[in-house]
Amino acid sequence: MTRGETPSAPYAIEAGKHVHTEGPATARAAAPRMTGPPRAGRRLVRLYATSRRVPAAVAVVAACALGLRLALIGHWDSYGALQLPLVFEAAAAAAITVTVASPLGEPERVTGRWLPYLRLAATLALTAVAAGALAAAGTGAHLAGGTLDVLRNLIGLTGIGLLCAAMINSGLAWIGPAAYLLPGAYALYTQWHHPALTTPWLWPARPPHDLGAAICAGLVFAAGVAAITVRGARDPVDERA
Amino acid sequence: MTATSAPARSAPVTSPPGRSAARLLRLELRHNAMLWMMPVAVALFWVTAGRKTMATPPLWGVRAANMQPTAVLANASPVAGAAAWMGSRESRRRTTDLVNITARPWPARLLATWAATTCWALVAYLACVGVVYGVTAQQATWGGPLWWPAVVAGASLPALTALGFAVGTLVPSRFTAPLVTIAAFFVLALSTQLINGSQSYWQISPVVAAPWDIGPDPGAGTFYAFQPDLPIAQVMFLTGLTAAVLGVLALPTGAGARSPRRSGVAVATAGLLVAGTAVALAGTGRLDAQGMIAIPALHDAASDRPLRYTPVCSHTAIPVCLNPAYASYLPATETALAPTLDQLAGLPGAPARISQAAVTYQQGRDNSVGFGLAGLPISGTPPVFHLLLPVELPGPAVTTSELAAQLRSITGPSIVASVTGDNPGASQAQHAVTTALLMAARVVPSHLPAGGTPTIGNSVAGPPPGAGAGSEQYVGAAPGSPAYAAATRFAARPAAVRRAWLTRHLAALRAGRISLGQLP
Repeated sequence: MTRGETPSAPYAIEAGKHVHTEGPATARAAAPRMTGPPRAGRRLVRLYATSRRVPAAVAVVAACALGLRLALIGHWDSYGALQLPLVFEAAAAAAITVTVASPLGEPERVTGRWLPYLRLAATLALTAVAAGALAAAGTGAHLAGGTLDVLRNLIGLTGIGLLCAAMINSGLAWIGPAAYLLPGAYALYTQWHHPALTTPWLWPARPPHDLGAAICAGLVFAAGVAAITVRGARDPVDERA
Repeated sequence: MTATSAPARSAPVTSPPGRSAARLLRLELRHNAMLWMMPVAVALFWVTAGRKTMATPPLWGVRAANMQPTAVLANASPVAGAAAWMGSRESRRRTTDLVNITARPWPARLLATWAATTCWALVAYLACVGVVYGVTAQQATWGGPLWWPAVVAGASLPALTALGFAVGTLVPSRFTAPLVTIAAFFVLALSTQLINGSQSYWQISPVVAAPWDIGPDPGAGTFYAFQPDLPIAQVMFLTGLTAAVLGVLALPTGAGARSPRRSGVAVATAGLLVAGTAVALAGTGRLDAQGMIAIPALHDAASDRPLRYTPVCSHTAIPVCLNPAYASYLPATETALAPTLDQLAGLPGAPARISQAAVTYQQGRDNSVGFGLAGLPISGTPPVFHLLLPVELPGPAVTTSELAAQLRSITGPSIVASVTGDNPGASQAQHAVTTALLMAARVVPSHLPAGGTPTIGNSVAGPPPGAGAGSEQYVGAAPGSPAYAAATRFAARPAAVRRAWLTRHLAALRAGRISLGQLP
């Protein structure tokens, strides 16, 4: 963008400034409105969250927690009771993964100074919200594996999604957690239908206190968060995320 | 030549509708997300369905029935997700207005996209099924492919793509495809929780390949013909569901001219009727004695007759004859039973042949199912002992070594008990002789609970309890008891002495007229 061009909304957002783009406002562009850093920061965060559909993702996570809570009221046999939380964890992880897609693409990437921090903060915050919501949903009910299991599975699944977003395509990143759901559920099934799958990389089938499984899930999550923070998601140029 | 001198065309150039539709389909095939999702679907199939199916005995009934639910589950997520992704394509690429003004009506365009997605899903599925069936054809010793389970799993793909595509089209959002993907798995995998007994409407789910309470019946297609009643109802349901969903896609306002909407209403109504009928039919199903679901309105009574086969027999002192589908288990069976059969061969009342029999099933209360041998374990003239191989019974897969161990410790004692007349109410001498013969054969019997056939249920946590393979009559003598001491003494006698005594006194022993003191 050259100096004479009218800045578009993304540039304004990423610069952390409020810039009007037409008429008399253009003159004011040279002198940014006097808003304090906290207010500008809040606005930046709000605009970032809106552009990534974070509120919708929070709603999906809340719906997952509610769905899990309602499902736990019912009577499930051993298969269902073990696999049920994993399904909702995968849905929550997919919702988190979807938020890394940018609707603005390359222009935002080029000019967004704060983008890595925003991506990191949004991902961690959403993961924390999802873990808290799902754990709360299991309070007072028989949640197979307990809170530790929820946390481990959620961060692992989210990590897979983030890695997919960074390496494949942000729009299709949900394939990662969704595809992992099936081997995860199958590994749970093999615990009493041998031959059992015991690799820690299939962490949903491991006990909640299994260190190897926790390390694997944590590594995947750390790699996913690092990739998304530093590199961002691969956004398709011709599609609205 | 100038523009004005060019000859005027008499009529606009138009291609036949079929050709343009084929061209559109070809374009959609080339730009379809399912094409890129195929490796995921194949990998998921192999990790779950392929691995699990190939771990089962090479019996067509077991392999096909195992493959159906796992194939549906493995394909459900990627197929539904890809379809939802394709359904939201126009919205995602902001081309809705652009394509709405094209000559081709909206439903026709959608149909081409859906058809392309379904085609790729079917290609991936058929490749996987081809491998499973091909390997099974090489391993199976008898029988032929059971196509109905493969057809049901195949019919579930158009239904899944239609559902995913409809949701993606009607609710285009970045959250639609992932949520559809996971919802497809959730509904299919966990809907079976609602099945209660054999008369359940939920059996219409394509993941149900056999009575849900017992799982695949190894005897299907070996002793009795495979009953296609439930698969027919499932295919009806899936076809109706597909039609209904595709019909609904033509309904929204602005979806085109009135004619396509009317067609959509008609197709949707017909689809709902067919699907509803299929669900109603599934609710009338009942577990038949052969372990399959029979639906009276769809049932062909002629298929209840046992299949004819030429058994494969061992060269033991008393021949052991198995169904040819189980021929691969004959060497292990022969080795396991030979020591016991050597002790019995030639004795009065001893079986002339050990013949494999089919398992008989009976629906119990709630989700419990009783299964076992129909009738007496030994019958006929000359007497034939009816054998149930452990691999015939529902439950976890049994390895060949496990099978041999169970035959040695459960079936062997049962055969001896059938000759001595041993049972919980038998005399001490009968207990002693049974134990002595087993000692002589170096068999370590497994003491089974007397009476009653065990029941299993999918609601029971953990693996289903093992079922006895045989009559479960053996009681034997408790170590330390006088009967045990007599058994030890009798077993220590030379084989010729034992045989001579048994030849003279076996009838009296069976009648309970021999006391412990009369044993040599």
